[in-house]
Amino acid sequence: MEQEAVKSLVQMKSADGSNPSSSDAVSRVSKLLFRRMLVGIKDGRFFLGNFHCMDKQGNIILQDAVEYRSTRRTSPSPMEQRCLGLILIPSSCRTSCHVDCSIEEQLSLLKV
Amino acid sequence: MADKAAEEISTYSHAPNHSSIPATDSTIWADVSPLLEAACRDLGDGELIHGNNFNLYAAMAALEIMDPKMDSGIVYKYYSIDEAIENGAAPVPISLDRTVDVQCTIDVMDHLLACEAAWHKGHPLAQTVFSCIYLLRPDRTSSHALLHSYCRVIRATCKAVVSVVSDARTHEEEDLFTMTYGLPLNGDGDEKCLSMLNAVEETISRQLRACKAIPSKRRVVEDLEPLQSDPNLEEGYCKALLCRLRFRKHFYHVLTCMKRPQGRGLELARKHIVSSMSELESILKSADFLRSDTSCVCEDGIEEKTTASGHQPVGFDASLNIRLCAPTPPRASKIPSWKKAIDYFVKLLHDLDAICSYSLDPHFEGLLRFVVQFQKSQPDLVARAHLQLLLVQEGKLYGRDSIFAVITKAAALPEAVKNHDLQKNESFLQLGQLVMNLLRILCTNIAWQRRKLGKILQDWRVIYVQLELAFRNEFGEVSTSSNDENTCLRIFQHVLVWVEEQTFWIACRFLMLGFELELYSPSEYCMVYWYLYAVLTKLAEKTHLKLALTHDIAKRKGKKKRDSSKDVGRESRIPPAVLFLQCYICLAEGLTMMLASLRNELQVLQSPSPFNTEHEKFVQHFELLQKACIPDHVTYQSFKECTTYARFSTLVMYNYFKDAQRIAKEIKNNFSNDPERAAELRSLEQVAEHNSVALSIISRVGALDPSLKVSFEFSHHPYFATAVVKRS
Repeated sequence: MEQEAVKSLVQMKSADGSNPSSSDAVSRVSKLLFRRMLVGIKDGRFFLGNFHCMDKQGNIILQDAVEYRSTRRTSPSPMEQRCLGLILIPSSCRTSCHVDCSIEEQLSLLKV
Repeated sequence: MADKAAEEISTYSHAPNHSSIPATDSTIWADVSPLLEAACRDLGDGELIHGNNFNLYAAMAALEIMDPKMDSGIVYKYYSIDEAIENGAAPVPISLDRTVDVQCTIDVMDHLLACEAAWHKGHPLAQTVFSCIYLLRPDRTSSHALLHSYCRVIRATCKAVVSVVSDARTHEEEDLFTMTYGLPLNGDGDEKCLSMLNAVEETISRQLRACKAIPSKRRVVEDLEPLQSDPNLEEGYCKALLCRLRFRKHFYHVLTCMKRPQGRGLELARKHIVSSMSELESILKSADFLRSDTSCVCEDGIEEKTTASGHQPVGFDASLNIRLCAPTPPRASKIPSWKKAIDYFVKLLHDLDAICSYSLDPHFEGLLRFVVQFQKSQPDLVARAHLQLLLVQEGKLYGRDSIFAVITKAAALPEAVKNHDLQKNESFLQLGQLVMNLLRILCTNIAWQRRKLGKILQDWRVIYVQLELAFRNEFGEVSTSSNDENTCLRIFQHVLVWVEEQTFWIACRFLMLGFELELYSPSEYCMVYWYLYAVLTKLAEKTHLKLALTHDIAKRKGKKKRDSSKDVGRESRIPPAVLFLQCYICLAEGLTMMLASLRNELQVLQSPSPFNTEHEKFVQHFELLQKACIPDHVTYQSFKECTTYARFSTLVMYNYFKDAQRIAKEIKNNFSNDPERAAELRSLEQVAEHNSVALSIISRVGALDPSLKVSFEFSHHPYFATAVVKRS
């Protein structure tokens, strides 16, 4: 999994986000860069950090990320958190992904 | 595996909601998953979406979530300790059936022993001993006297071990050892663990007596509830528990006794060591009983199990604590089998016993020999920490002798000068620091030790120069010679010689440890023995000089210097300690010449590596010694000069090994009271004998017979190789 991600990272040299021929979806995702992003993963944890990078496979890198975890399986329960810094979340374990935005903006984001 | 576990969880759990993590006041969380998916489809292979500040190199360092080797936060089974407890992962009592409860308690005890051994061997405390949920919640076990008392003594023992290791600062070499952050190492009332343990022990021994009594009398003996419900198993379980509890008690006593200042508790500690050992034996024996009871037939894997019964213990989960191990990445902690754990504790107790039986020798030389001998058994961290704490306490040797007194005694000065004002001299204070530092270093593991020894050599050189300077300043223009000045003069003279002797001793140990650590390849043996020979020669010279000063024959010291190694053996006045070194010198020189001749005449053991020249290897191996000018004027060129013309014909004419053999025989009687050095002499003699024979064979047939193969082995001595000649 890790190797896959690294491989795709290495290949990126050939192109970058500012590619003029990029699609509408790609350019809209590019606009989300540096925004606060909340990613949920399979084991129930959440990661909140600044959106830093995404590759073709959907692996996401967050900067200054904080891990949130429940102390119990039955929600609601108190959340524990700790700082992790730069993290890579493989797409295979991602279950949800949200961006911090205003209501008007949400409507435009929802149109795919 | 992690993925699987996580999948399982998500299928039956109510996954926590992101709504509990608030966005800012005026914003909301908008789901962007569909957008991201669309973008992924549109992205070309290898394309990335990233900003201007993106740096591939930095991105490679990102922590990968859900990678078991990087992500210490993976939720394996439970979200928290409390949740694990609520789900019945660590019930109290372990079972309502009292027989099963006792059985399971014994399993917990056994597994904890294995965990403790794993911790001592370098795994994090949080993932070994404190993977036990019962230990993590000290109050929960209070209704279960047996388990409670055992948990308490375990916590107290861990605390005692952590404090010894962190006080000794030997943990520098293994920094994980003392990490206790977030662990309840100080349970309330753990300091009273022994009284509680004694009470439980007393109850169980009464239960044991009761079940052994004749049935008719049983009721009369005591009005006591049995340990568990099956009368046939009562005796076995009582015994199995008693030896486990008693082992903990004695082991805890050993640790506390050894910590007493000035080695006052060593004698008592030895008694507890003996008791601990015999309890360990009983624990081993109890395995037969505990296994006979088990219904499980899987006998084949029993050697690998962490409990005597072979059962999986209840109440352990290493993943709960894994986040406490930060900042280290999560590591898989391998818990040794129960048998191996017992072996470890037997070895630990042997090593501790070696420390306790040490006589606190006031002579520095004897102390060094003891530490070197102690290290030969490769003691683990805990034993070495105890030794170090014993040696250096409150800036004094054994917490008893001031370092200045130790130095003057070692430098063969009279007892009277040990309180001389010179001890306040700055250079002498610094020397004292160096001596203590040296002792500490000698207690570390050999790899770490060698590195540190190499580094302090320069400090010892510098202190020599400083002392010499201070000496000149004071006695530069000797005019008056009052009595006190005479004393000062003598102190300086003796200490200067002693400092040089120590410096060469350190250099020797540095070189010799390289053999133990297997840092030299056979093609490098020649230069290593040559260097060793050079250093040993200086060491013997300084030792002789020191001894000469003692006997007040200082005037003759110049004559006695060891520049020719040839006729020293015949001189009767040479002290045995110097002859001992002479024996080493002959072996080192003999091996150098033999290796050089092999290379010159038979073209074997030549440096095979195309990457490093011999000169580069010389620099790599001896850089630290060369930097400190140990010894003076020794260079790669001088090595080449010494060895380029070595030939078997001359080597046979003058056989160094025969000399070594003769010296070893001569001085044997001087060391008959010292079993360690007598044994050392015997092995030196063997090396000399074997090499002497090998030498004559090679010189006779070597050049004529190309099928002759010569190899070197360390079968008789750890540092001095024995040549093995074979025909292929």
